[in-house]
Amino acid sequence: MSAARAVLGGLLALGLLVPVWAASDPHGGTPVPNIGESIYQRGVLGSGAQLQGLREVTAQGGGLLTKGSDAACINCHLRSGLGSISTDRRVSIPPITGQYLFQPRQMKAGDHDLPYVENVHADREPYTDASLARAIREGVDSEGKPLSSLMPRFALGDADMAALIAYLKTLDPRRVPGVTDTVLHFATIITPDADPVKRRGMLAVLQQFFADKNAFPFGPTPHLRSSGKGIYSKSLYMANRRWQLHVWELTGPPDGWQAQLAQDLAREPVMAVISGLGGSNWSPVHAFCEHERLPCLFPNVEVPVVADHDFYSLYFSKGVLLEAGLIAEAIGSPRAGGQRAPLTVQQIYRAGDAGEAGAAALAAALARRGIPVQSRVLPAGAQGNGVADALRLAESATTLVLWLRPEDVAAMGNAPATPQAVFISGLMGGLENAPLPASWRSRVQLAYPFDLPDRRVVRVDYPMGWFSFRHIPVVAEQVQVDTYLACGLLAETLNHTADVFVREYLVERMEDLLEHRYLTGYYPRLALAEGQRFASKGGYLVQFGGTQGNTLVAAHDWIVP
Amino acid sequence: MARYSSLRTLQCARAIACSAIGYFSAVTATPVLAQELNGAYAQHHRILPPAATRSLVSYATPRVNLVRSDGQHVLLSDEIDDGRPVVLDFVYTTCTSVCPLSSQTFSALQEALGSERERVHLVSISIDPEQDTPQRLSEYSSHFDAGPQWQFYTGTLDASLAVQRAFGAYRGDKMSHPPLTLLRMAPGQPWIRFDGFATVADLLGEIHRPLAAR
Repeated sequence: MSAARAVLGGLLALGLLVPVWAASDPHGGTPVPNIGESIYQRGVLGSGAQLQGLREVTAQGGGLLTKGSDAACINCHLRSGLGSISTDRRVSIPPITGQYLFQPRQMKAGDHDLPYVENVHADREPYTDASLARAIREGVDSEGKPLSSLMPRFALGDADMAALIAYLKTLDPRRVPGVTDTVLHFATIITPDADPVKRRGMLAVLQQFFADKNAFPFGPTPHLRSSGKGIYSKSLYMANRRWQLHVWELTGPPDGWQAQLAQDLAREPVMAVISGLGGSNWSPVHAFCEHERLPCLFPNVEVPVVADHDFYSLYFSKGVLLEAGLIAEAIGSPRAGGQRAPLTVQQIYRAGDAGEAGAAALAAALARRGIPVQSRVLPAGAQGNGVADALRLAESATTLVLWLRPEDVAAMGNAPATPQAVFISGLMGGLENAPLPASWRSRVQLAYPFDLPDRRVVRVDYPMGWFSFRHIPVVAEQVQVDTYLACGLLAETLNHTADVFVREYLVERMEDLLEHRYLTGYYPRLALAEGQRFASKGGYLVQFGGTQGNTLVAAHDWIVP
Repeated sequence: MARYSSLRTLQCARAIACSAIGYFSAVTATPVLAQELNGAYAQHHRILPPAATRSLVSYATPRVNLVRSDGQHVLLSDEIDDGRPVVLDFVYTTCTSVCPLSSQTFSALQEALGSERERVHLVSISIDPEQDTPQRLSEYSSHFDAGPQWQFYTGTLDASLAVQRAFGAYRGDKMSHPPLTLLRMAPGQPWIRFDGFATVADLLGEIHRPLAAR
């Protein structure tokens, strides 16, 4: 063991460590130097040098070197420090927050208040600071037994080690705001530019889901799987907590939203934000959730913030940005038409609406393929006005892309002889209910970032039955089904996290469980991981077909841009 | 590269044992390692056994189209039946625990092969193909210093699932995908399957025998 340590020391001494102190404070404001967190999350030592670790260490001190962010503790033990266990239970990464490491095991049954996590390795002597330092440096546990081969042996000086251990102690699960002995508080956030019909539909689903959740009888619950002898006999049960929903309705321009949300959160502490509804700008809400380290779970937004390395905001899809990707694939891919004359692409969107972001994303995606795009911008508001004129001006284009709401779609008038290809945003235009004038209907390809109606029947039937049984009017089906799905995912994840109320753990468990979910509503499949914040990644381009012209026909297979 | 300088020692330390390991690489190590392994097995109920188990299995290569990280659409069988020994694993680029170690082993393996490296084909297939676009695989490939002998593949979800099923690697979700490395010396021969973390020495031991004999 000392040989390994000597080699690691040697690496340090030889100056093989490259300073990469580029990490900026992700939460804005003045960076608080927290060396322990920096080592844990980014693999950056107090000196700014990279953390280094060795795996498969030999007696001669050789092995596989891992360094920097690849070596950071967060990769395996996760942001919460609570680790994970694979479904087949073969790979188990233990929790390494202070309590799990240091708490004595010879406690009287029932005295233990450690929240239960499946992957805990409890059957060993508690660590001391010294034996933990030895474990991290030399790969042996508190009883001198070797740790898993996955765990590297790290080169850490005394000051860095002390900082890291201090950080692990701060990771202890503790009551988060919004969790009381009897109530779990959640919020949903609605921006002022959100569609009022969708707002009504979403709130009806949320309120009913919470009411159902609270309809079960309350009182002390029996301990689960507990014989009363294990160290978790006290903690291994789930208290029945009532769910309470707080509706945070934002007002005024976006630059004031973060301050409003901060006030809402101070007044009504919540564990997480569930669902929600945005318009063309969700970024202040996203920024708020990241800043407050508040899970923001599956809001209904057409323009999400694409920041896969943010942590707290999870989305079902990239919305209009995904649609732009689908359309770009169709326009730019050779399979769309083989040899042909140069493309002239024109797109139309209304200022201040979600189409602005979709149009920008499409222009960027086509620019990468060397295809220029001309944009025509309709003035904000005034739905339905100016559309037919803009379409006449765009008549010479070979390809037309429309980012329009139903009122504008209905006002499109008669289709001209050209252009040859017309794409329209399904999310904005109303999906299969887009009120396309007859002459356009047979011409357009609709971006459709969902599974096709006939393929999602079973997955959507359940929520639709639930709405019907509870007399919830279906006014915005896709938004309401997504809202129901978000609530279901939250309930399911909380069932799996037992009484471990740690915001990061909630997100991590959700990442894990999502892929096992069969009832995925409008989506064929959902999956997330660290560094993946959009659960559904593809979509279709569909045309209206069938004898009545009301069947959706996919123009291609499922496309993942 | 300095990064792999210590690897040579690793190979030397274990190569002798590897050439004689037969089916149980767990008993191959130096006394220090053997002690570690015994300790590890004593508590195998809570940690992963450090050594990979080796078995010989025949797999029919499925007729599947994949997309290589350079964007080329290819047939899996064309890629792996190119005459070279193939070392194959399954990865995904946002994986943080199992895959980085497997990829690090592949990276170290190509270093350890030295001038022989282009006589071996390393194949990593994404089990998260919707996320792992060719571009993301290219970035991942650079991160692990993959040379021309090590290629990454993605494709449709169905294609990836077909490959995983064909090689007995499908576990239902990417998060629980087990450490697995497959090695085949030539088309028509059985695959050598390592369940668990195959070490560079494990793989070198397999590759070196026939190469040296040629």
